[in-house]
Amino acid sequence: MLEQLWEILLSVDFYVAIIRMTGPLLLAAMGGLIAERTGVITFSMEAMMLLGAVGGVIGSGVFGNAWIGLLTAVMGGMMVGLVFALMAVTFGANQIVTSVALNIGALGLSSLLFAMVFTARGEAVRTTITVPSLSEWRIPLLADIPIIGPIFFHHLPLVYFAFLMVFVVWYVLFRTTWGLKIRAVGEHPQAADTLGIRVARVRYLALLFTGAMAGLAGAFLSIGVLNTFQENMASGRGFIAYTAIVFGKWQPLGVLLGTLLFGAADALQLRIQARGLPIPYQLMVAFPYLVTLLVLVFFVGKATWPASYGSPFARENK
Amino acid sequence: MKTAESLQQTWRLFLSRSSNLLIPILAILGAFLISGLLIIAWGSNPLEAYTALWSGAFGSLASIATTLTRLTPLIFTGLAVTYGYRSGFFNIGAEGQLYLGAYSVVWIGVTFSDWPGWLIILMGILAAGLSGAFAALLPGLLKAGRGINEVLTTLLINYLIIQFFEWGLRVDHVSKELDQKWTIINWIGLKDAAQPYPKSALIPESSWLPSLSSVLNSEFFTTLFGDAGWFQNLVSSPALTRITLAPVLGLVAILVVYFILFRTTVGFRARAVGVNPEAARYMGIDINRTIVSSALISGALAGLAGAMEILGSQHRIIPNFLLNAGFEGIPVAMIGQLNPLGVGVSALFFGALRAGANRMQIISGVPTHLVFVIQALAILFAVAGTTIHLTKKKLRPRIENHRHENTQVSPEDKVTDA
Repeated sequence: MLEQLWEILLSVDFYVAIIRMTGPLLLAAMGGLIAERTGVITFSMEAMMLLGAVGGVIGSGVFGNAWIGLLTAVMGGMMVGLVFALMAVTFGANQIVTSVALNIGALGLSSLLFAMVFTARGEAVRTTITVPSLSEWRIPLLADIPIIGPIFFHHLPLVYFAFLMVFVVWYVLFRTTWGLKIRAVGEHPQAADTLGIRVARVRYLALLFTGAMAGLAGAFLSIGVLNTFQENMASGRGFIAYTAIVFGKWQPLGVLLGTLLFGAADALQLRIQARGLPIPYQLMVAFPYLVTLLVLVFFVGKATWPASYGSPFARENK
Repeated sequence: MKTAESLQQTWRLFLSRSSNLLIPILAILGAFLISGLLIIAWGSNPLEAYTALWSGAFGSLASIATTLTRLTPLIFTGLAVTYGYRSGFFNIGAEGQLYLGAYSVVWIGVTFSDWPGWLIILMGILAAGLSGAFAALLPGLLKAGRGINEVLTTLLINYLIIQFFEWGLRVDHVSKELDQKWTIINWIGLKDAAQPYPKSALIPESSWLPSLSSVLNSEFFTTLFGDAGWFQNLVSSPALTRITLAPVLGLVAILVVYFILFRTTVGFRARAVGVNPEAARYMGIDINRTIVSSALISGALAGLAGAMEILGSQHRIIPNFLLNAGFEGIPVAMIGQLNPLGVGVSALFFGALRAGANRMQIISGVPTHLVFVIQALAILFAVAGTTIHLTKKKLRPRIENHRHENTQVSPEDKVTDA
């Protein structure tokens, strides 16, 4: 058994899978991180991913081009972000409740939209269809390096984009005026408002960005991996991305580590199941959540999350 | 002029209460209206679809029985969220607590299958409540002791429990005497060894919750009411054979939670901490103890949801046996305006939508998925409506906008803390 485990751990294929499975999680988590830093909870990333997934299939199927699918996926995710912002920022509604509502609604709406677009009148509801999909990019020269090449340099373009975004998000957050505004709004909206920063606008833009990124993550699943849409396609990945943000203590590098941990756990449990190893694969699935819980208990202080986390801001509160 | 004053007070009370009633009703109507546009876009007739939905939920005895079966777990998870929320403990772990509760009931039923049915039911309910409370214990302690956000911890524990559940369903449950390779793991696991799939054995039939007709036919009621005409009519009604005791227990739970929350010191303390922990501290309430006890009560209620589903309806566990009923407790509680009685009504709304969805698809061709959209819109409208309404009344406290109902202490809430 131990030998077989080593075999898995030493295979290149395992590490390729880790990077691939981290992709959608990282896309969503990097988007979510920006909104989280402005002080809103991004528990609705599941809904954004679902509408991104179906948006991707619709765009790709209707226009026959996977790149247009990416565009519609972004629009799908941003639509959820907009509704969430309207509820949470403008109305000041409870963010968790709003998110739960959006997640339930997106579960239904995504399947409904898929059926609407791809089912002819009077026909039985179609559940499968194949649409043009994204193809992997092989980076010349770099992909030829043994071991490292296939692991890192032969992936969907979205994977490169996701990893690039870790740097971009870090740079924006900590090296630009935008980042300063974002963090100010998250830490002390009243003070930010006094300084002339428009709190609501910053939060709206951040949530639209989250929607766009989570939408891409959804498209990753639908037109990147499967080339079709399935009911409840995100299957909890939006929540995992959220958990990874908590794991990473709201820091870009930490969040990257969190998504890699979840990606690795997923890749490992699939391989354990496929080989029928006598290790409970559920332990692998549960492991990252357990680690996140431990991080939360032992390494996260009250100061770690944005001070205004989850609470709405109204100017008369000043 | 005391009467005038008290009249005025009653009128104000009525206004504040009726807005609690009006907002969810308008929200639900709005949700049906907007979803009607979706149905038109789909190419069906909204009226036809909604008629089918209604008849699927209430049109026949069988459909009413289905609705009641669907709503029972939602009552319990809705109550769990309501109790927690009222006391400042936002429990989004009802999903996991429910799964653990169901696991415990089946474990009791399968392990002690030689016990009399009533004992399995009793011990099962007890075990489900305790295990649900156990699942909420750590988040409660962490919030009380370290100020760690319970939303995050309860969410994470959901996943740990569900993975435990999935694992337990894949480990054969065999007795020590029958299997030489028995280990303690086989004692915990629940998979029926005779099945190729992850599926537990059924709990003994004697421990299934009885139908209402068999309850009424028991000696107790027949000697009590004997030959009274109305009683004979009631007992012979075929509807009662299809409805189990579970929804009745749900109704009892609503009343009990209402009583605890509004008529006992425990409930008063919980609500005081929920409205304003600092003020509660000045009143001499032990905040940490209250948070932990509220977490335990909330978790226990969610655990009971699992017990009701197993004892009353499914009698065994399979993977995803009751997906999302825990998470749906949150919207059920919100549409119910965080009031136990309201939870009953909104659970009925949710249960009816689910029960009627299939008939809607068969008759009008509108996919069942539409009911998710209706639910989501109703929640969004209700939440937005409540928030806007409260902002207008300038009742919103500075940071927490959502602890609304109790920002004004209404007369009936003036319970003194001993």
